[in-house]
Amino acid sequence: MSNFRRVYLDHSATTPVDPRVLEAMLPWLTEKFGNASSVHWFGQEARAAVDRARREVAALIGARANEIVFLSGGTEANNLAIRGLCEAAERYGRHIITSDLEHSSVRGICEALAKRGWEVTRLPVYDDGIVRAEDVRAAIRPETVLITVMLANNEIGTIQPIAETGAMVREERGRGHRHLWLHTDAVQAAGRIPIDVETLGCDLLSLSAHKVYAPKGIGALFVRRGVRLVSQNVGGHQERERRAGTEAVPNIVAFGAAAKIAREELSRHAEHVRQLRDRFEMRVKESIDDIVFNGNPNQRLPHISNISFRFIEGEGLLINLDLQGVAVSTGSACSSGTLEPSPVIRALGRNDELARGSIRFSFGKDNTDADVDYVMDVLTRAVENLRRLSPLSRKAILETV
Amino acid sequence: MPYSNTFKDHLAHPRNGGELADANAVAEETNPVCGDRLRLSLRVRDGRIEAVRFLAYGCAPTLVCGSVLTEQLEGKTVAEAMGLTRKDLLDAIGGLPSRKQHAAALAIETLRVALEAGCSELLNNK
Repeated sequence: MSNFRRVYLDHSATTPVDPRVLEAMLPWLTEKFGNASSVHWFGQEARAAVDRARREVAALIGARANEIVFLSGGTEANNLAIRGLCEAAERYGRHIITSDLEHSSVRGICEALAKRGWEVTRLPVYDDGIVRAEDVRAAIRPETVLITVMLANNEIGTIQPIAETGAMVREERGRGHRHLWLHTDAVQAAGRIPIDVETLGCDLLSLSAHKVYAPKGIGALFVRRGVRLVSQNVGGHQERERRAGTEAVPNIVAFGAAAKIAREELSRHAEHVRQLRDRFEMRVKESIDDIVFNGNPNQRLPHISNISFRFIEGEGLLINLDLQGVAVSTGSACSSGTLEPSPVIRALGRNDELARGSIRFSFGKDNTDADVDYVMDVLTRAVENLRRLSPLSRKAILETV
Repeated sequence: MPYSNTFKDHLAHPRNGGELADANAVAEETNPVCGDRLRLSLRVRDGRIEAVRFLAYGCAPTLVCGSVLTEQLEGKTVAEAMGLTRKDLLDAIGGLPSRKQHAAALAIETLRVALEAGCSELLNNK
């Protein structure tokens, strides 16, 4: 096909490595190969690079460098934060507050803790996909040790009231509930909206590098000074005893470079993706009927659009789009390999049909207006064609042949 | 496994989509596990399938199985159609990943229900 093009609208799944990030990391894969824990010159060169990167990642979220723990990614950050905190705080209580729209890693950790006798309160997110601060307050008990609510959701992009929750946690501590901590998964939010751990008032915050134009396999956990965690990786002194294992120097350098770019270019990129996303949604509204937009339109990340297309199944639409070069993701169960459609869309109170027909379009800094035009062309036809074939649709063709 | 060219072709250009107004064998079956749905309408005359249309709601393999099945059915006798197996359909598609093979099972099941409902006399006299 001569006019075949590819448009990547799945930046919430992962982003391409920025060429500047690649350039920064390459020497650390070749001539600068030292182990950052070695005492000799090669090691010290690597140590200095890791420290520089740590300062950049800290600067992205308004933290101090020594509050950053490098690890393998968002899932490990969530594991260290929640398991590590809960194991350290067990003697003060065994109750966690979380929400209905957390990433599967946080859901999975909370389920595992529940099996070990922890009580877990899951807060509702209503039809707009947002936790209510008053629900958080009502759920706090004397034995609550951790509140873990994501900063912004990965499927619908809704931004949660973490700053209000952080203020509430401080108030609680002021009233004598000293053993209460706040964790937030900021994997989707980082690089898309400004983050400041002081404003948020969180004690733990998870980050992943591959969502901010750095490679996969590297992430970080912000651990506020004074917060105790039980390390989940033992057997080495790295990362101030919090995460044993040789530092992945090239990946850490890449994360540092990406964090610097994200911080310096955040407002420009956010505005760019917001314009593309808003234009895309306007055109979808004009061209396609029987759709439902998922998530509060005013309180969400600038790059995500999540739409349920009635009468069609998300994976059927996803593969149709993929065959025409457009990459998106879906809440359909078929696609995720599970039997249940997206728990996030279901948590909004949507029925199975809407959950199964949900598609996430997530824009990135390299997308263009021409991409939106192409996607609209492909999407409009694909939806029309699939609805023609759907037994749920009124548009099915009835014919005599 | 990657999807075959036949798969891609049928997904991009489904054959025989729709519903026959004068069908005399119709069935709509749902996969109880994943909710995928397939509707077949067939016009059978003198023991032979004259025309067939499908509607499908589900993942891409379900849509493709519906489309490929309709091509396989045209001109077949009812007895020949009843003899079609899941494997015949999978072979015609060029295979499906194992976790997607339920789509072929749904298509064959829907076909059998339609023929049993619409052509019971023919099948009983066979």
